[in-house]
Amino acid sequence: MSFLHRHGWLTPYLLLAPGIAFLVLFFVVPLYYLGYTSLQEGTVQVGYTFTWAWDNYSEAFSTYQEQFIRSLQYAGIATVLALLISYPLTYWIAFRGGRWKNLLLLFIIAPFFVTYLIRTLAWQNILADDGFLVGVMQALGLVSDDGRLLATSTAVIAGITYNFLPFMALPLYVALEQIDPRLIEAAKDLYSSSTKAFLRVTLPLSAPGLIAGTLLTFIPAAGDFINAELLGTPNQAMIGNVIQSKFLEITDYGQAAALSVILMAVILLMIAIYTRILGTERMTG
Amino acid sequence: MNHPFERIHGPMTRKQLLRRAAVGGATLSLPGILAACGGDGGIEGQQAATGAGDTTVAQELADEITVSNWPFYIDQNDDATSFPTLDQFTEETGVKVNYLEDINSNEEFFGEIQAPLSRGQGIDRDIIVPTAWLAARLLNLGYLQKLDKSAIPNIDNLEDTLASPAWDPNRDYSLPWQSYITGVGYDPKKVGGEITSVEQLLDPALKGKITMLDSMEDTIGLFLLEMGVDPSGEIDPTAYDEAVAKVQKAVDDGQIRSFTGNDYTGPLAKGDVWASLAWSGDILILQPDNPNLQFTVPDAGGMTSVDTMVIPTGGDVYTASTFMNFFYDPEIAAQVTAYVQYITPVKGTKEAIEATNPELVEDPLVFPTPEALENLYEFNAEAIENPEFQEQWQAVIGV
Amino acid sequence: MTTAAEPLPRNRGSVATRTWAFVRHHTLTFFGILALAYLMLPIVVVIVFSFNDPAGRYNYTWEGFTLDHWTTPFGPPFLGDAVMTSIQVALVATIVATILGTLVAMALVRYHFRGRGATNFLIFVPLTAPEIVLGASLLTLFLNLGTALGFWTIVLAHIMFCISFVVVTVRARLVGFDRHVEEAAADLGANEWVTFLRITLPLIAPGILAGALLAFSLSIDDFVITSFNSGTTTTFPLYVWSAAQRGVPAEVNVIGTMIFGVAIVLMLANVLWQYRREPKGAE
Repeated sequence: MSFLHRHGWLTPYLLLAPGIAFLVLFFVVPLYYLGYTSLQEGTVQVGYTFTWAWDNYSEAFSTYQEQFIRSLQYAGIATVLALLISYPLTYWIAFRGGRWKNLLLLFIIAPFFVTYLIRTLAWQNILADDGFLVGVMQALGLVSDDGRLLATSTAVIAGITYNFLPFMALPLYVALEQIDPRLIEAAKDLYSSSTKAFLRVTLPLSAPGLIAGTLLTFIPAAGDFINAELLGTPNQAMIGNVIQSKFLEITDYGQAAALSVILMAVILLMIAIYTRILGTERMTG
Repeated sequence: MNHPFERIHGPMTRKQLLRRAAVGGATLSLPGILAACGGDGGIEGQQAATGAGDTTVAQELADEITVSNWPFYIDQNDDATSFPTLDQFTEETGVKVNYLEDINSNEEFFGEIQAPLSRGQGIDRDIIVPTAWLAARLLNLGYLQKLDKSAIPNIDNLEDTLASPAWDPNRDYSLPWQSYITGVGYDPKKVGGEITSVEQLLDPALKGKITMLDSMEDTIGLFLLEMGVDPSGEIDPTAYDEAVAKVQKAVDDGQIRSFTGNDYTGPLAKGDVWASLAWSGDILILQPDNPNLQFTVPDAGGMTSVDTMVIPTGGDVYTASTFMNFFYDPEIAAQVTAYVQYITPVKGTKEAIEATNPELVEDPLVFPTPEALENLYEFNAEAIENPEFQEQWQAVIGV
Repeated sequence: MTTAAEPLPRNRGSVATRTWAFVRHHTLTFFGILALAYLMLPIVVVIVFSFNDPAGRYNYTWEGFTLDHWTTPFGPPFLGDAVMTSIQVALVATIVATILGTLVAMALVRYHFRGRGATNFLIFVPLTAPEIVLGASLLTLFLNLGTALGFWTIVLAHIMFCISFVVVTVRARLVGFDRHVEEAAADLGANEWVTFLRITLPLIAPGILAGALLAFSLSIDDFVITSFNSGTTTTFPLYVWSAAQRGVPAEVNVIGTMIFGVAIVLMLANVLWQYRREPKGAE
């Protein structure tokens, strides 16, 4: 006991030790192994050997550029769409929700509780070629008579947007909810226009939530493969599909790992830039 | 947001308290788990284990047996909750059957099972039913055990044509489950007519409404046949390139909705897809979902192969062999065939099935005549394992 | 605090402006409702089709109403086993991740120490990293070490990604925690242990529970990371994926609805409990 009296500085480290050790063992170390595997060559038949196989990377870059770019594109569009939908929605709940705030918030979180796969399969059903939705859109002229919604980029992007919407909405809500409405009132007094008050006061104050939401949406979306698999054609294949197939079906571990490393590197770069700008406390606080 | 730590002085300080909590937490981290399981050496240094298994195993039936098979491959009720022949097996032998329909495509399945098998570990399965070329690969890698033929007297019922494949001449390691035909499954109403050739699938009117199989031997095989090339012999790389290019163009044009394993059945049943490269028996099973569906073998020829029962490392040889024997009884085989409507490897099934389903006896898809068999080809086994061919194919299907 | 026109002497009270404000006010509501409907649409479809009586294997078109699937939700073979496995994994992973995560959260909130930034970063990255990278890297770890893939590798994977979520949730709660209450208890003569048990723990309990609930639902739902590390073991999401290839039985919809229902109920309960404990409405 007196040990800690004299060495009180140890306490935080002791508290951290088990959790951090676990993360180091099962998050950091695997990343090392990912890199290690990415430099291996071989197949199941002959075994895998570590040979500093940098051509795994060069091949990955050249062969799958299209899928990489597509992943970033889809994720980007989905993030923007999620933002466009979430912002007004969370604004509405935060400022007009009143007593019903938490209930309405529940609606945003609710989809999260239905298994990801089941919700995406439901979209397969909803967007079916001769289903109700397509019929309505054809009647409205939004979809051509021999067109379809399923198995298109539209469906994939829509799926990604839907599935990651809560990740955009929740941080936004938290940020908006913390804004003191009296500030907005005051702004309206000063600027005599709701729009200006919004632009000059609300928007900047919600920035941290906006940025957190963007990050939390874009990054996982870039690595997604389920939406592309269930709602798209091979022309919509994202880098996640390639990685999944190479690991689990083709068992070309070297190249699969190289692709994962590239994806992770791009993402770490983005996170590093963001945290530089904002500081990690804001992110996780 | 940061609260400076404030100390309270008393008989026991907060630090002591928190230290206790920390110690409690520390015991929960378990790096030792890593060491506890699995073999040695990891994926590096994996060599093909030399042939496994001999037949000096105890001849005792296990309590249960686990089987991995393709979907729609055994008689069952409408929503796949009960399997009459399996129940019969359990009644006769007392062995409970865990029947899993978890093989969707050979490549996928191999990806799942290869890691433990390569380390000499079992995969919790007593019988798996890969297609012949994958069974051959598994055998060459040493992942299979020998059958206990003393438990399989019915092996005499094996059709002569299937008795001696190149990769397992004495059927020491394998027994066929069903043979299948790959052709085109389609809805004539939606397509607007009959389909007699895979070329018709490339008709722009069907853009985005067709699927093809993700197995090289099925899709490329059919296109090679269309080109007049025999895929069971040696395959000229230029011919292969041409076939691949055709499929690639269809992908680029958005003609092909997706490459599927057994999962073409859903979209076909649903009507999202109007025509698919398909396996014969599946289409008939989809009738309740979509009565319009038809199956046809293209005029240029269809592909065929045999899905084969094998016993992987860790499986119970005697119980598995007993299971295989059970299904080589013509009466039982007839029950299975009546439902799945694939081609049975068991002699005497035709006669047995006349009593229950006489119309099937005449069905060329279920009991093909010798002329019909002439038009069916099995893809050259070496070509399937050709790495260049594999790479080209993978590039086409989008990985 | 609404922003409808107030009877204060302001210079923007023209009829046009106020009408515009009224329309805009309701546009927002209209949009909000539409957005919520959009969010709920697939869920409604899932629930509705759990009552469907499909003609064959595929549950795509409405054929007729039946309660059969609800009376025998574990009819399809192995669905029950998969669900059991999922629940077992989730329980173990939740307990371990909650304990580890709470400890980390407490350290982060209450102490200054070197390496704080690095710790924050380490907690943050798993939250945002794509699941496929997390799953794939774990797979390479297990492959290179020769570990058998199965139940325990799934559990380890789940604990890994749950810790960060627990930390963030508990930390949010801890940050708002008023230390003076602890001081007051100490002043009244309570020792450290009693203070912790009787004062601190009950007050942060909702946060810990929220973290645990989050971890549990993440674990039950996880597909990507699990698919990389499960070998031949099947959890509920893996079962659904495999079933999607040959016809998803309506019982899957039933189970999905049940999980959804339980989660909602638990969340509501947690929220209500918080309200009871802090009637001033801290939320």
